[in-house]
Amino acid sequence: ETVLHVGTWLPPTNPQNAVVWPTWAKWVEEATEGRVRVEIQDGLGHPKTLFQLVEDGVIDASFSYHGYVPGRFELPQAVEQPGLGVSAEAASVALWRTYDKYFKQSNEFAGLEVIGMFTHGPGYIHSKEPITSWEQIKGKKIRIGGGVQSVLGERMGITPVAAPAPKVYEMLQQGVIDGVFLPMGEQKALRLNEVAPNVTLLPGGMYLGSFSIFMNPDVLADLDPKDREAILSVSGEKLSQMAGKAWDAIDAEGYKVAQESGVNLIEVKETDPMAREFYSMIKGMKEEWVESVADRGIDAKAAIDELWSIARDYESGKN
Amino acid sequence: MSLSAWVHVHYDEVGPVRWLAFALEVVAATVLFSLMLLTCVDVTGRYLFANSLDGATELTEIGLAIMLFAEMPVVTWRGGHVVVDILDRVLGSPVVKALGLLAALVISTSMYFLGVRIFELAERSLRRGVETEYLGIPTGYIVEYIAVMSWFTALGMITYGIYRILTTQPK
Amino acid sequence: MSVVLLGFAVLLLLILVVRMPIAFAMGLVGFFGFAALQGLEFGNLTDFRWSGVLSMASYRVIDTVQEYSLSVIPLFILMGNLVTRSGLSQELYHVSNAFLGHRKGGLSMATVVACGGFSAICGSSLATSATMARVAMPPMRKYGYSDGLAAASIAAGGTLGILIPPSVILVIYGLLTESSIRELFAAGFIPGMLGILLYLAAVRYVVWRNPEHGPAGDKMAWPERLQALKGVWGVLVLFTVVMGGIYLGIFTPTEAAGIGAGGAFIIALARRRLSLAILFDTLTDTARTSAMLFGVVIGALIFSDFINRAGLPDALLSLVTGLEVTPIMVILVILAIYIVLGMVFESLSMMLLTVPVFYPLVANLGFDLVWFGIVVVVVTEISLITPPVGMNVFVLSAVLRDVKTGTIFKGVTPFWCADIVRLALIVFFAQISLFLPQLLYR
Ligand code: NA
Ligand code: NA
Repeated sequence: ETVLHVGTWLPPTNPQNAVVWPTWAKWVEEATEGRVRVEIQDGLGHPKTLFQLVEDGVIDASFSYHGYVPGRFELPQAVEQPGLGVSAEAASVALWRTYDKYFKQSNEFAGLEVIGMFTHGPGYIHSKEPITSWEQIKGKKIRIGGGVQSVLGERMGITPVAAPAPKVYEMLQQGVIDGVFLPMGEQKALRLNEVAPNVTLLPGGMYLGSFSIFMNPDVLADLDPKDREAILSVSGEKLSQMAGKAWDAIDAEGYKVAQESGVNLIEVKETDPMAREFYSMIKGMKEEWVESVADRGIDAKAAIDELWSIARDYESGKN
Repeated sequence: MSLSAWVHVHYDEVGPVRWLAFALEVVAATVLFSLMLLTCVDVTGRYLFANSLDGATELTEIGLAIMLFAEMPVVTWRGGHVVVDILDRVLGSPVVKALGLLAALVISTSMYFLGVRIFELAERSLRRGVETEYLGIPTGYIVEYIAVMSWFTALGMITYGIYRILTTQPK
Repeated sequence: MSVVLLGFAVLLLLILVVRMPIAFAMGLVGFFGFAALQGLEFGNLTDFRWSGVLSMASYRVIDTVQEYSLSVIPLFILMGNLVTRSGLSQELYHVSNAFLGHRKGGLSMATVVACGGFSAICGSSLATSATMARVAMPPMRKYGYSDGLAAASIAAGGTLGILIPPSVILVIYGLLTESSIRELFAAGFIPGMLGILLYLAAVRYVVWRNPEHGPAGDKMAWPERLQALKGVWGVLVLFTVVMGGIYLGIFTPTEAAGIGAGGAFIIALARRRLSLAILFDTLTDTARTSAMLFGVVIGALIFSDFINRAGLPDALLSLVTGLEVTPIMVILVILAIYIVLGMVFESLSMMLLTVPVFYPLVANLGFDLVWFGIVVVVVTEISLITPPVGMNVFVLSAVLRDVKTGTIFKGVTPFWCADIVRLALIVFFAQISLFLPQLLYR
């Protein structure tokens, strides 16, 4: 029996720990007929370090957020750009296929065997005061998570405040920040419903955030070929889709909690001026991304176009 | 009092080590003072000018690393790390001295090997272009600094640290 | 499992007998323990792949010394040092003496109360004890207090820092268990006050047993007391700015550390107590203390990597579930485990290691998770003063170079007993924790 040590982070109730890892572990054990067992371990330090801990063989597999390592993982940001407007499930499937076809050839994931890619659900504005126009958010102190959110924040004219997500509750409660960009699930997980009683929901959300799930290539290579194939057969698109779906589910729960606790849900319609102004505000961000990854040696324009069309096709096929 | 006289009064080290300790502590003190100012400026800016300092968090993180590792060699060679001394009276001073030498050897060996690996990791991070979020500072340089100062801590401990253990009488 | 026990045994040997610095002892045992779990044996010392374990240790160093939230440690220590240098500590104790000094052990009591006050602005126990050590130790020595009682009242008082809100640890607990953070903050308040009262009782007990530990001073008349109060306006202003700033939401507790240090700097300047040389001395003193503390935190993290990989949390869970006893017995078993773990762990790593293991079990048994959070924090506080690895005691012996850890541990015993009494009260009378949150939010 081989044991795969999987490093994780985020609270136990997070979909990644409550659903994604246990499901994948079951898949692996079934596919390898019990020859490979998965053991999950928490508390290994900052999530950005998990990329390195897997590469150096401290643990065998893990997942992490690309935005924690600025400068290294630029390609997956193709899925994060504002305006895509799909669920995490659709975005995750599209991101995996695009990774497989384009991003894999680049050096960004050197030292890692990527076995899945996914995004969290669409990000919205959670705030203390209702925000119904872009005038109202100007100059407000908003906690942002970096990457595309910084660019968005700049275009909106907010005062950005950097802080780790677990600090958000305290900062909102104390008024150090007026609002935060986060997906809907955090209404429940971070208990934003207590401290940010207004959510401005732009149609399809403002942005996404991307993660990858990866293994140590040597560990994979040392396995019996039969087991290696078995593990890979329950990873890739299958794993990515399952992860995206699980992360969508937590957003649905967050939405329900927000509704039940009387949070003011400001649903902006496609045709509202606020949505139309948003689309003109984000104009050119896709092109900027294509330019920013010019040195990565892939056809970035083709990659992002394909990613977006897969995602949107998948999304419309889902309904 | 002249600077030289002041340093002689305030630093127990001998010869050039005295000035080395002083120089390292000047770095640590300056950075610590800047960390304090940085927070004050950042908070004031947020309220008075509706504009917080871009990358104040990053600068704090970098400053913390610089301060701690500038101080690390001095603290280490002075035997300043926390020790449980419950058995000192039972053991007697020659034994305590011998154990001090053993600890010195262990500390310098571990800091040396740790430094080697940290340096390799720094190079890897530089190769991959990892940088900080707002200011775009390559994080590998900070890690290289940590590696170099780890080596320096090892060197200080195996030379001056041992000299100090052999020449001072434990109380 | 046997490798864990061996690891603990070697750690204790290194710390107690070989007199290895704690930071390096924990780091080494963690490092080689982890390597053993990865297949290191005596036979393969040369072909073992060392780079993996070295990476693990290296990243603990690299990440910890660049951890934003830990910047409160040097900055709050700096604030305390500057307050001390500006001469306010003497005046603070002049006031304490005026109001409490005529009682036996009065300055110790004042220390406990002051620690409680400082805890209300600081989320970290280590920073509380480091700061209060500078402020409270010199006056207590001046008035002839025994080192044991004086240092112990600081070490114990310092543990209040993580229960009286704001508290970094309570926020982390809230996020781990998805329980309400504002309810946790409200729930921590009364147990924190109870802690102060019981510590005061512990001081009374010590001086009742042996009055020489904390001699009584002269009783001052009211005009004199009011006169003395004038001397501490600086501290009051500083505390008001820091506390008010946090509660009004002008800055975060992390930022409050920097603001507090800046405020203390201005007060010291205004009182003309700062020359360049004194400022430099204060800064380097702070940097040295911080370097030692970070060393220990890094060592503890490497050690916890080993314990974690060895599967200790899972083993504990199966131990508890295998007992088949009443729910409250399960809680008592969990608490016993915490107290044992508390001997060797530092509060944050103990929390991170155990809460994910226990809280689903506790919730299943029908207990309130806010209540459990307070119980866990109180028992974690106890770990800070439980020998042989009591972080608050080490902080004190780092700050007060001439007081032996043995002396402090001995002096801490009555406070430790007070903590056990408080723990029992909180466990059996859930309303102590739940009254405020129910009143305010439920
Ligand atoms: Na506190
Ligand atoms: Na302890």
